[in-house]
Amino acid sequence: MKIEINIPRLESKRLILRGYDPEQDLDRLAAFMETEKSRFFMGPMDRYGAWRLGCAFVGHWAQRGFGLFAIEEKTTGEFSGLVGPWAAETWPEPELAWLVLADKEGRGFATEAALCARNFIYNDLGWSTIASAIEPDNAGSIKVAERLGATADYEHALPNGGTVVYYRHPAPEVVQ
Amino acid sequence: MTLRLNIPRLETDRLILRGPEHRDFDPLCAFLLDPERSAGFGTEENRSDAWRWFALNIGHWALHGYGYFTIEAYGEPAGISGIWNPEGWPEPEVGWVVYDGYEGKGIAHEAATCVRDWAYNTLGFTTLTSNIVPGNTRSVALAERMGAWFERSYDNVHMGAEMLYRHPGPEGVS
Repeated sequence: MKIEINIPRLESKRLILRGYDPEQDLDRLAAFMETEKSRFFMGPMDRYGAWRLGCAFVGHWAQRGFGLFAIEEKTTGEFSGLVGPWAAETWPEPELAWLVLADKEGRGFATEAALCARNFIYNDLGWSTIASAIEPDNAGSIKVAERLGATADYEHALPNGGTVVYYRHPAPEVVQ
Repeated sequence: MTLRLNIPRLETDRLILRGPEHRDFDPLCAFLLDPERSAGFGTEENRSDAWRWFALNIGHWALHGYGYFTIEAYGEPAGISGIWNPEGWPEPEVGWVVYDGYEGKGIAHEAATCVRDWAYNTLGFTTLTSNIVPGNTRSVALAERMGAWFERSYDNVHMGAEMLYRHPGPEGVS
């Protein structure tokens, strides 16, 4: 089995989106995943769990040809979060996911990164629709979704008893 | 960034060891969700978490150049065996799992021996271990059958107390 996948490097005004690299990114990802703030992003979990998660990001790209990008802040070079299309086996449809680490919040990074990733989804992957799955109490992400022009579409029950709402993004012809 | 995945196809008398394919997920998931069978490996809570393990194994291959192969026996996925080295592990280990219905046929032994030979001959490893949870007598018996010996106990970041078995080096098995 031989697979070669190129993870592109995307740029927005303040951010670079690139492949996740555990050597550069694991320390900051693990520090965040250990905190309660990671509850909307599969956390909290220990460093070993964060390592596994990062490995799954890489495996997702290798398996599907798309996946989450690491967000790098241009001015500092620091790993600042994750964004991109994610298609876990057990979810109803692929989603555009985003995460901005706690110390990079409040500066519009999530919106900027998600816009960049959405353009990639529409223009490079050629998808005709994308939604974002958000927990009803994740006010921060709901605000980002609304800023991106997405609207609540349907609810999906999770195996752990919770629910997520799929926010449908405007179609490619609308945002171009 | 270019991800390169190069998973060889290895063959033994009865088995094929190959890279994970989509059809391997359901039998893997059944194993990972079965608390009794996966106690010595690490049980997952639900199908989503099991899928994450499936994806992370592929990521492990991309990052390290090795990981878990699917063991194919009689044309069906019968288990997994490979070289595993996550964050926090003391050193790379040979691991094996045989699914329900495939035990007692020497499949784990045949697969793990093949994986160990591959790691020594192709990857150039000079030593290998296997981490075994106390009480997992089947795996201890297999490790000993492969010539491995108990070296020490240690605290694994994921599994807690584990016994580290040391395999004979390349010169000891060829």
